[in-house]
Amino acid sequence: MKYFQPQSVEEALELAYTSEATFLAGGTDLVLHMRTGKVQPLGLIDLGKISVLREIKEIEGSLEIGSMATFAELGKSELVFRKAHALWQACQTMGSPQIRNQATIGGNLGNCSPAADGLPALLALGAEVCLSTKAGNEILPLESLLSRTPLLEQGTLIRGFRIPINGQKSGFAKLGRRKALAIARLSVAVSVEMNGSRIDNVRVALGAVGRRAFLSEALGQELSGQELNNELLEKGVLEVQRIVREALGTRASAPYKRVAVAGVFREALATIIPEGGK
Amino acid sequence: MIEIKLVVNEKPYNLNVEPSERLIDALRNRLGLLGTKEGCGEGECGACTIIMDGKTVNSCLVLAAQANGSVLTTIEGVGNRRSPHPVQKAFVEVGAVQCGFCTPGMVLSAKNLLDKNSHPSESEIGVAMSGNLCRCTGYDKILRAVKIAAEEGKQ
Amino acid sequence: MKTSVVGSRVTREDAWGKVFGQTKFPADVNLPGQLYAVVIRSPHPHAKVLSINCDYALEMAGVVAVLSAKDVPHNAHGVLFRDQPVLAEYVRMVGDPVAVVGAETEEIAREAAKRVQVEYQVLPTVFDPEEAMKPDVLPLHPSLRPTNVLYHMPIRRGSMEEGWAKADVVIEKEYNTQHVDHAFLQPEAVLAHLDERGHLVVQTATQYAHYDRGEIAHALGLRFSQVQVKTLAVGGAFGGREDISLQVIAALMAWKTLRPVKMENTREESFYSHSKRHPMRMQYKTGATKDGKLVAMEAKIVGDSGAYASWSINVLRKAAVHATGPYVIPNVSIDSYAVFTNNPFTGAMRGFGAAQTVLAYESQMDLLAKEIGISPLEIRLRNIFKVGSTTATGQVLTSSVPLDQCLAKITPYLQRGGESE
Repeated sequence: MKYFQPQSVEEALELAYTSEATFLAGGTDLVLHMRTGKVQPLGLIDLGKISVLREIKEIEGSLEIGSMATFAELGKSELVFRKAHALWQACQTMGSPQIRNQATIGGNLGNCSPAADGLPALLALGAEVCLSTKAGNEILPLESLLSRTPLLEQGTLIRGFRIPINGQKSGFAKLGRRKALAIARLSVAVSVEMNGSRIDNVRVALGAVGRRAFLSEALGQELSGQELNNELLEKGVLEVQRIVREALGTRASAPYKRVAVAGVFREALATIIPEGGK
Repeated sequence: MIEIKLVVNEKPYNLNVEPSERLIDALRNRLGLLGTKEGCGEGECGACTIIMDGKTVNSCLVLAAQANGSVLTTIEGVGNRRSPHPVQKAFVEVGAVQCGFCTPGMVLSAKNLLDKNSHPSESEIGVAMSGNLCRCTGYDKILRAVKIAAEEGKQ
Repeated sequence: MKTSVVGSRVTREDAWGKVFGQTKFPADVNLPGQLYAVVIRSPHPHAKVLSINCDYALEMAGVVAVLSAKDVPHNAHGVLFRDQPVLAEYVRMVGDPVAVVGAETEEIAREAAKRVQVEYQVLPTVFDPEEAMKPDVLPLHPSLRPTNVLYHMPIRRGSMEEGWAKADVVIEKEYNTQHVDHAFLQPEAVLAHLDERGHLVVQTATQYAHYDRGEIAHALGLRFSQVQVKTLAVGGAFGGREDISLQVIAALMAWKTLRPVKMENTREESFYSHSKRHPMRMQYKTGATKDGKLVAMEAKIVGDSGAYASWSINVLRKAAVHATGPYVIPNVSIDSYAVFTNNPFTGAMRGFGAAQTVLAYESQMDLLAKEIGISPLEIRLRNIFKVGSTTATGQVLTSSVPLDQCLAKITPYLQRGGESE
């Protein structure tokens, strides 16, 4: 197996084009998969030395996050805290301090586990993904990418994410078996625009419900443009339970998750609603 | 084989490693630094914790090649009997050590916390230690030891 | 009397080595020229090994030996009975070791282990202990027991007829507990070698160095004096290092190849290779008078021994003895069983059978209290063991039964509804 440590994105793309090697981000999933034999790469292109991929910055009304930003960096970023709160929250509970120091948001998407902690938040926040190949760049909504199989063609690099900054408020909640080191059994991310007591442009995404995290457009539409009150909350709960029931079908976890999602959904909403608000 | 450069416990090394070789294996087998322990091999237990460029990582989840150019601290680089680190002293005095297999990783997580934050709150200590498992049920004493070490550092 | 030790804080001297990372656990010792050995384990819970083809493994550069049942002089070990094979020809659980590869590096050994082809004849399985108990189910250890019932402990006291006649309230429930792994943090590891006198030296983490020595000597057909077991630092055990895991296999490989042999379990291998806590199915029927006095209890406890006996007899005996909890009950009938199944074998783990029954008898107390309309504390105060009480096994407690003091201490906490101050 060959191992490359390129210093620039261009070099990385060139290597991917010529070598059929696999991109290596933080490695907290890939190193394990290589040991168990689940993944047997022909070579590795370590992205760790490309500093431009680690950047977290605000540009022209968007929050831009490089794919190699670690969960720890995102979880400590003031900018992420203010502009992409759901993502910031997801970064606090993912794995353990050691894993957050190593694992990256791009790797989270590349590995694309059903329970990936970062994806529901990115979906709810309306993130776009920036992909690059030697042939060129592509920017597309994350939910569009997540509907592709395979997720990424050989030689496609996840450069980063672009989250629109438009005053949206967001929240996230995760159900795990314990606080630290718990793989999400269920996670919910919500983002809304508050117009007085009315909420608009509601986006709800679920994790650990099915093969990949997904955005429920139906639920978002259902809740958008309405007064945020208990009645709406209860309507949302019923709807999210229906979605989980449909997504999980007869899976063993379905009866549990169908009930549990009500609490996780309420908790996710509670994290965005200021105290004392309805 | 690929050549990497590391600084481990303030000593520079040039090593030839396999591309798929984990950092823990390079430390244990090539450098003979056996204080780094492998408990689970999948990032759950934290026994293999080391400090890499000022951050704790599970050395079982990092490839040696990824650490190229990094500065590492393993347990062998922290204190000795003549001059123990405050965390090590507190662990012994409080009785935060039972079987001792988790201890090197615990000490490094605690040391790294105090390096960054000399006045951690109880919840900050809890979060910092949350990636290290102890199976002899010593968490209470471990957290107390970190707190005592922090207080000692303040004086 | 005041001493310098009792009642004072003592520093563990071994803690210093541990905080500096100097303490040697068995994975931390090595010898020049050592081989690495890796075990091939059965994926089937019940099977006969028909053949083992080592050719593809032996073809690999660096592979030194592949050993199987035929290479073990006395192929058995076990704490109560030698019912467990060192390397199995007849498999009774998933994870039974069937062969071992010795090679120059761990990587080669692991790769070679994948190339050993084992042909199995898969046999019918039984996983439910109550099913396994039935007389028509084929026994897993016919030379040890005619059925799968390894052990039955009956306890009888007083008259059940009288007891039930006095009972105003009767609660009947079934309780089940699950397998639990010790998950000690240090996975099993061994270094075995022949010293300059030709004696086998086995360095490992064990709860019983002397017993390990006997088992190794027996399996290899050696005298005790030819085997030395050194206990290195033990990275947690909790009962899980009472049985033999890799010790005999490593010793065998060293004996056959005349090379030092190192073995280290991965966490996954560790789960396969040591005992578990006994799952127990506990059917309880408990009766009390309307003023909260216990008058009768019937319990049937079925413990899942899994594939091998290990300490099951002692564990289920302890479960039976503790089945009433710390409560006086004049009329008692308890039947405790240990049963072989094709599940992972179960053995010693913290509490050793006393832990499981707590779930049953304490739940019964809470349910009785609720039914009678008194507090959980009150029903316990009316029934606890005191000095002079007689237990279900007829033991008269003559001293040190401070349960009343213990309950008195926690009473304020219970009265606050379980809230801390």
